[in-house]
Amino acid sequence: MAPKKFYHDDPAWSDVEPIPQDDGGPYPLAAIAYTDEYREAMSYLRAVMAKNEASQRVLALTEHIISMNPAHYTVWLYRAKTLSALSVPLSEEIAWLNPTALRHIKNYQIWHHRQTIINQLGSPKGESDFITSMLAQDSKNYHVWSYRQWLVQRFNIYTDEELAWTESMIDEDIRNNSAWNHRFFLVFGKSKDAIPSQEIIDRELDYAKSAIRKAPQNQSPWNYLRGAVRHVKLPVSTLKQFALEFADTEKPDEVFSSHALDVLADVYAEEKGMEEQARRALELLAERYDPIRKQYWNYRMGLLGEGRVV
Amino acid sequence: MAAPASSSASSSKLERLSATSRTKDLTDSDSEDMVLVAAHQEAENAKYIKSVTSPLQDLLSTQTWQVQEETLEAVLPYLEGNPNDFDLNTFGIPKLQRIQHVRFLNNALQKYPAAFMAIDASRPWFLYWSLQGLTALGQDISDYDERVVYTFAASQHPSGGFGGGHGQLPHLAATYAALLSLVIVGTPEAYASVNRSTMYSFLGRMKQADGGFTMALNGEEDIRGAFCALVALSLLNLPLELPPDAPVREQGLTSFLDGLTDWISRCQTFEGGISASPGQEAHGAYAFCGLGCLSILGSPKDTINKHLDVPSLLHWLSSRQCAPEGGFNGRTNKLVDGCYSHWVGGCWPLVEAAVGKGIANRAALGRYILSAAQFKKGGLIDKPGKRPDAYHSCYNLAGLSAMQHEHKYDETKSGEVGKEGLGGPYHWQQDGLYGGEKVWDDDDMLNRVHPVFIVPWGKAEACRGYFEEQGSL
Ligand SMILES: [Zn+2]
Repeated sequence: MAPKKFYHDDPAWSDVEPIPQDDGGPYPLAAIAYTDEYREAMSYLRAVMAKNEASQRVLALTEHIISMNPAHYTVWLYRAKTLSALSVPLSEEIAWLNPTALRHIKNYQIWHHRQTIINQLGSPKGESDFITSMLAQDSKNYHVWSYRQWLVQRFNIYTDEELAWTESMIDEDIRNNSAWNHRFFLVFGKSKDAIPSQEIIDRELDYAKSAIRKAPQNQSPWNYLRGAVRHVKLPVSTLKQFALEFADTEKPDEVFSSHALDVLADVYAEEKGMEEQARRALELLAERYDPIRKQYWNYRMGLLGEGRVV
Repeated sequence: MAAPASSSASSSKLERLSATSRTKDLTDSDSEDMVLVAAHQEAENAKYIKSVTSPLQDLLSTQTWQVQEETLEAVLPYLEGNPNDFDLNTFGIPKLQRIQHVRFLNNALQKYPAAFMAIDASRPWFLYWSLQGLTALGQDISDYDERVVYTFAASQHPSGGFGGGHGQLPHLAATYAALLSLVIVGTPEAYASVNRSTMYSFLGRMKQADGGFTMALNGEEDIRGAFCALVALSLLNLPLELPPDAPVREQGLTSFLDGLTDWISRCQTFEGGISASPGQEAHGAYAFCGLGCLSILGSPKDTINKHLDVPSLLHWLSSRQCAPEGGFNGRTNKLVDGCYSHWVGGCWPLVEAAVGKGIANRAALGRYILSAAQFKKGGLIDKPGKRPDAYHSCYNLAGLSAMQHEHKYDETKSGEVGKEGLGGPYHWQQDGLYGGEKVWDDDDMLNRVHPVFIVPWGKAEACRGYFEEQGSL
């Protein structure tokens, strides 16, 4: 543990008049009994912010406060502002940030700060490896995945290498929906209306299908499959033969995936004269294979007569 | 529960129960009856759990599967039995522990020791969660009125908006929590404490060229920003035209609403849910923010149907209900968590108003909240094994309240308040109590909560009415 640091007796800070904390009137709610060290450091931060000071000592002060409370957006934002005013080498900031981030993995101010710095630095070098090491600790961390998506977009990293890495994340846990989302983002997300080549569409459908065969109740690849079909504007009937591998309304005792029944219900709802089959699939879901969502399946049954499809 | 059990289904449970040390203390026949009742109840619960469990299970083991199994192991004893020894309601599940939750939330407003320094930037949230939770529980919070106003006076920033505390930069999350707290207080002093004109200028600085909003100057842009900004614009009855000094005017934008609905549409993902910003993963909390935005922009029936793909949204939203737990998770293949009782549960009234049908399994969520999300000593939790906090207390209660009440949207917008501008959310009407399958008694009822603002019923309308009377800036 670092020794306590105070400013009132530090000659380097003698020119600063600290602004003391106001918790909000004589009887503030949810006030915090700060340590003297934190309370004083914050008083000096308020003072330098009031003067809009950008200096090396401000950087040291923000580092000190972050070490005590990394969940403090004001300190991070003011540090970013100071860094850009001082034009200090940003690679040093990243080097300092790495161990800090590893200590506070759930903290998302750190990720936004990192994004600000890397954006100014103009290079994603080393970032992929760093992200991978963070995901090794928390494989579904929303901020880490979001940061990775920003990185891909900012530096145009829609590469085979990125796709292969995503695949390795799915291989590690085929139910990691964040990894599936990243794959969709890479393949289909580059622009809203861009439709990839037939070859890529086939590759993606095959990829999701083979994942489903390993664990047919895993909803991630089913959502991927349906999302891909919808995105490239293919009819849902594209998935009929595949869904029949896992469920058949004629064989209600041999269902291996509720998600297959769900797909079949949509396929039959669109198919002429197959409304009864659609109803059967939804009944099987409501009564037997996914009873917690009974109201939802019933709602879909109610749509059948209306010529509307889910 | 009424009569003791004699069904054969409960007999094995009964034997197991009789063998435990619990029976040692019981001497009189009343206690023996209680044991019988408990055993019967456990059998009933076990039957229920079976009835909502899908027979389909994949055995392929991965990390997701392992934590899911652990979670089920932690939750099931609470769904089946009564490890907290709570009094049971007539449905045989734990009663709402009102007194203990009130005590917990009152405590959450008191002074925190130094170990809580990490909440220094989130103090506004602790006020909001506690006040909202207390009012949902039927508590009068007027003793806190003045202190709330004073506390936020210190965190209002001279340049507009609220920060986490004194001298902290203005931030939309803090602004949202502060405004809602002041709305709950609802006194003229509370309303008047907000500096509308600097707020207007702060909101102008948050607007981005792509249609969305950042949370702070040079902060992250995500759908929370859009929602918090719309909440402030609407409650304070601010002009929709951007302030003259809004930086984004240089890019040709003139209104807070420019590009907004397109941006929100882009947040809907291939799964049907809504993400923090375009391209990211669909997530329950961001879904509520997105649907909240649309419900401020107009009638949910108009806006949700117009700007979102509703069939895939319904598919994703209904998939959030975990079986057999009954509570919600926030993303595909994640774990049940009591705070999604609101983030996902709160999506349902908005979406159901858009499609005109009830779709959520309200009883299953109620069961999760009452059986598994109440902490023995008060406060509500994520899941069994976790500690209570104000956040999970507020949002479990908001979710339960949403399940207990019916609301309908007055498409004719006949009310006096909210005729113009972002007046959409002031036309909700009470529509009685939920009449479907339920698991709560009168004693377990919570107060009605506004489906968009998550404040006590009537408070948002009162605030908007006040600022409509004040006129434009
Ligand atoms: Zn939670």
